[in-house]
Amino acid sequence: MSEVSPETGPVASSGELADVIESSLEQAVGRLERSRDFAKPAATPQVLELCRRLMMQPGGIERLYLWAPRLDRAGVFLGTDWQDPKTLLAGLVANTFELGDRQTLVIECLSQLRALSVASGSYVRAGFSAEQAHHFLSQVLAHNLSKVFSAGASEAERQNQPEMTRVVNDLLHFLVGHVGYEDILGNLTDEIWRILGQRPIQVGHVKAMITQIAITLAGGDYSLGDARLGADRLISALFGPTKTSLDDLGIPHYRAYLAAMDFNALQQEARGFARAMHDVGLVSDYHAAFLRWLLENERVELIPDALGLSNTGLDSLQCYSKLVYQLIEEAIYPETAQAIYGLAMLLERGVLFIPPIGPGLWRQISLDLSENANAAISAAFGQALPARVFLLAGTISVLGQPLGLGQGNNPTCQSVRAISMWSFNAPDYLLHLIDQVGHFDGMLMHFEGASINSAELPVDLTRAVPIDSDPVSNLLVPHLDRIYLQMGRLCADRGEDPHRWINPEFHGWWVGRGFNIAVDVATGKLHDYDGFLRNFFACYHPLNNGNQLVIHPQPAGLAVTDSSARFVGWHAITILRVALDQSGEMRVYFYNPNNDSGQNWGNGIKVSTQDNGERYGESSLPFNELASRLYIFHDDPLTSNAVWGVAEDELQNVKEMAFSSWAADRIT
Amino acid sequence: MSAKNQEKGYVALLGWSLNAIDAVDRMDRRYVVIAPPWAEEYATKHSIPYIPWNFERLNDRSMEIAQTLQDEGVDVAIPLFEETVEWAGAINAVLMKNPRLMGQSLLFRDKALMKRRAQLGGIRVGIFEEAHDKTDVIHFLKRVNQALLKLDGDPNDPIHLKAFDKAGCLGHRVVRTPDDVQAIPEDEFPFLMESHLDGWEFAVEAWIHDRKIRFLNISEYVTLGYSVFVPASPELEKWRPRIEEEIEKLIETFDIDFGFIHPEYFVTKDGKMYFGEVAYRPPGFKVFELLERAYGFNAYQGMVLAFDPHTTEEEITAFFPKEVVDAKGHAGCFGVYPRRRVVSELRIPEETEQHEYFEFHELQAPQENKVTKRSAFGTHWGLVYFFGAEPYRMRDLLKHQEELDFYV
Repeated sequence: MSEVSPETGPVASSGELADVIESSLEQAVGRLERSRDFAKPAATPQVLELCRRLMMQPGGIERLYLWAPRLDRAGVFLGTDWQDPKTLLAGLVANTFELGDRQTLVIECLSQLRALSVASGSYVRAGFSAEQAHHFLSQVLAHNLSKVFSAGASEAERQNQPEMTRVVNDLLHFLVGHVGYEDILGNLTDEIWRILGQRPIQVGHVKAMITQIAITLAGGDYSLGDARLGADRLISALFGPTKTSLDDLGIPHYRAYLAAMDFNALQQEARGFARAMHDVGLVSDYHAAFLRWLLENERVELIPDALGLSNTGLDSLQCYSKLVYQLIEEAIYPETAQAIYGLAMLLERGVLFIPPIGPGLWRQISLDLSENANAAISAAFGQALPARVFLLAGTISVLGQPLGLGQGNNPTCQSVRAISMWSFNAPDYLLHLIDQVGHFDGMLMHFEGASINSAELPVDLTRAVPIDSDPVSNLLVPHLDRIYLQMGRLCADRGEDPHRWINPEFHGWWVGRGFNIAVDVATGKLHDYDGFLRNFFACYHPLNNGNQLVIHPQPAGLAVTDSSARFVGWHAITILRVALDQSGEMRVYFYNPNNDSGQNWGNGIKVSTQDNGERYGESSLPFNELASRLYIFHDDPLTSNAVWGVAEDELQNVKEMAFSSWAADRIT
Repeated sequence: MSAKNQEKGYVALLGWSLNAIDAVDRMDRRYVVIAPPWAEEYATKHSIPYIPWNFERLNDRSMEIAQTLQDEGVDVAIPLFEETVEWAGAINAVLMKNPRLMGQSLLFRDKALMKRRAQLGGIRVGIFEEAHDKTDVIHFLKRVNQALLKLDGDPNDPIHLKAFDKAGCLGHRVVRTPDDVQAIPEDEFPFLMESHLDGWEFAVEAWIHDRKIRFLNISEYVTLGYSVFVPASPELEKWRPRIEEEIEKLIETFDIDFGFIHPEYFVTKDGKMYFGEVAYRPPGFKVFELLERAYGFNAYQGMVLAFDPHTTEEEITAFFPKEVVDAKGHAGCFGVYPRRRVVSELRIPEETEQHEYFEFHELQAPQENKVTKRSAFGTHWGLVYFFGAEPYRMRDLLKHQEELDFYV
């Protein structure tokens, strides 16, 4: 350094500064390389700090990109979740970008640059092919589309690391420059189709992604290849599913067009909406405007076409037409358009033929919401419509799509599962609960003879009120949680898993009174695992139980594992059916309250949500694979007894899958 | 683990330091780590040779660990922390059949004994006394200021209080008035009192083998407790010949055949050097890391060579670089203390972030918003590291950091 500055201020230009940082990085990486594996975690933070500083310099990302292979080999990822790139989940990256601390953000950025080195072929890494890397990157970009295509930062990011937000955006642009737009949009489109294949009730984020694609495609000349068709279908389903709405001129204009149409044109319009809705699972705002227009203009004969009803649905509608029209009148607006799909499915399910449902819905139509309920729903869904409208639309959706419920970002799988189960099996009870909480701010249940009123229980302040789930969950989950926790407290000192007593009382009479658990509660170790599995086969496997079908939905507990088959946590599901799929494989069909049920649980166990005989919203796994992750199930002690014992090799197969994942350190 | 040379020494590290273990694991010597039982799981998992031991006060069982190491064939024990210095003395006395090493280590562990010994050896020290209660402190404060011919109402010269057996600034207090004395908690007694020396304080790290200095570093404190850099500026380095003489006096007085010492000195305005204290273990403030950054050698490996009786003359000569001239630059670090009473986030000042000497920092986001008031010298919240070519620019830069807010 020739110049001695009288001040201590910086004198280097940014390029020179980047050079200086790189020479410091050279030293720090050298230390990391020399370190033994056990000492690497201590030598890593300074490397990450220097990487962060380098990235913040102009052109820093390009410079750091060249370091990525060496950093990986030096062990920068050692002992972190990023160690093995093939287990990385693209879906988690966006979350890290928004909420990660400084160090996590830098590791995430480095992990992306490593993937790019592998994808470009400049770095060969065992167990992570260039194709895998490329696929991973395009998925990451698809999940971060809003950052790729817009300069704005979300509130969460802004709060978190203002200076890192720019770096993350620069990084994503750098990645796009190498990966290309086609792959991202194609990937995203596939992803949306996969999620919609599960027919979720909450589609806000899906709509946001489709909007993003629409803006991108409208604003630039991107070649999408084969994915173009799929993307166009999504966009049209959302913004212009019919000939008349195609130009997306806004609802007032659209209504003006309708007024000028003859019956044939209106029928075509109705069928267009129905086709798009049933094809994609999304409902356009115009669809809601159309239904309301039909009611107002006494064209109700077109409602069956507009809902795309089959004979069953049509029967329901004709028997309960006044109720259905009233539901449309009260609940279907452009803001709640998605409930139209729920309404169609509600009619198709035939639940209106259950005697209490009709009066139950009439009761809800005139339900006077309490102040608390009003406030909670408005906080989550806004003021555009009264809270009772959102709640009624939500109720229609839940009754029509019991398996479309998702827990949002809330640790409430038990409560959401219960709502789903009631909607599936006891919809009148669900309406009863909505009425109780909606009007009286309380929910009354019984546990072993004693009554429990949620209104009298303390609010668990550690649990936020869910605002990212559907209106029914939003209303009921806080109360269900309180009751569930109270039941837990009442049997806390019994030294056994509380689900034994809670599950039957909480859900309903149909939950099997026998209780089977694979682990010893005190030690967490496996306990009579063979017996547990034998009993599961004997109760649920049609080839072992005398071809007995699952009659009522049964709660069950899973040990959920990640894509590396490591134990993540206990999770509540509902077993719905056990049946052969089209290829002749015995599968368990179940409901998973997670928002996206297509999950990779490691060891080759991938939960399927379509193409293996699933109905909308069902997840499925081959019988053995599900058994290998099961730790709690219920059976009926009066009827269940092993008719035909399970084959020894099947049992071994299940045990191996369990032992190589969640049960590895629980073997006794 | 590298292949180990059976011809060379077998060393025991006393205390758990990953950096030290990493350094010795990469050498060709056999080693074993003696550490409390909490380290066992980690050591087993990473195949680190390990013997569990609780370093409480020396007691009847102390012989046991010395015997274990002797049976194991260990040649020498190396202390890594202040608390293990007397253990190393006791163990080495057995391993080397040299009882004098035990006594020597006790001198290193008691600051009052250490000063007396230095004084006996003709080394210049400030005035000091031991305090057993508050009246001792008031008496000493008064007498020191009387001796300085201060009049009533003149501001007192401060005195320094230091725990007998703690490392660095731990338990270090500065007392100016009888009110300060009242604030001393009873449980800190007894301790050592010293007169304040108005001068330039610095530290020395010296690797000694065969009673000869093999490498001598001078660590320049920019502000005590805040910042240090190595190698020192030419202004301080011009004292090197005098410092070497002083270290040789220490070697004679404390009878040091081998090992590593870390003394502190003052140079007063009239050019006299005062001995402060000496420790027989690695220094704090990451000076070893700074030395590696400046010279490229691993200071822990240097320690192993200095302690190992089987180290050859050629080996140790080849290992250490030439002081000052072989340094690639100056490496410094700054300890951050929050300057505000209430802080909410860590924010590296832009001028630091953009400075070409700045390398990285180890600061964490604040865990709580309220900053506890510093008592005594306190502990910094983390270090910020710098590296650059110009010593005076480094010194000014480190000084300047004291005026910046890292926590806002």
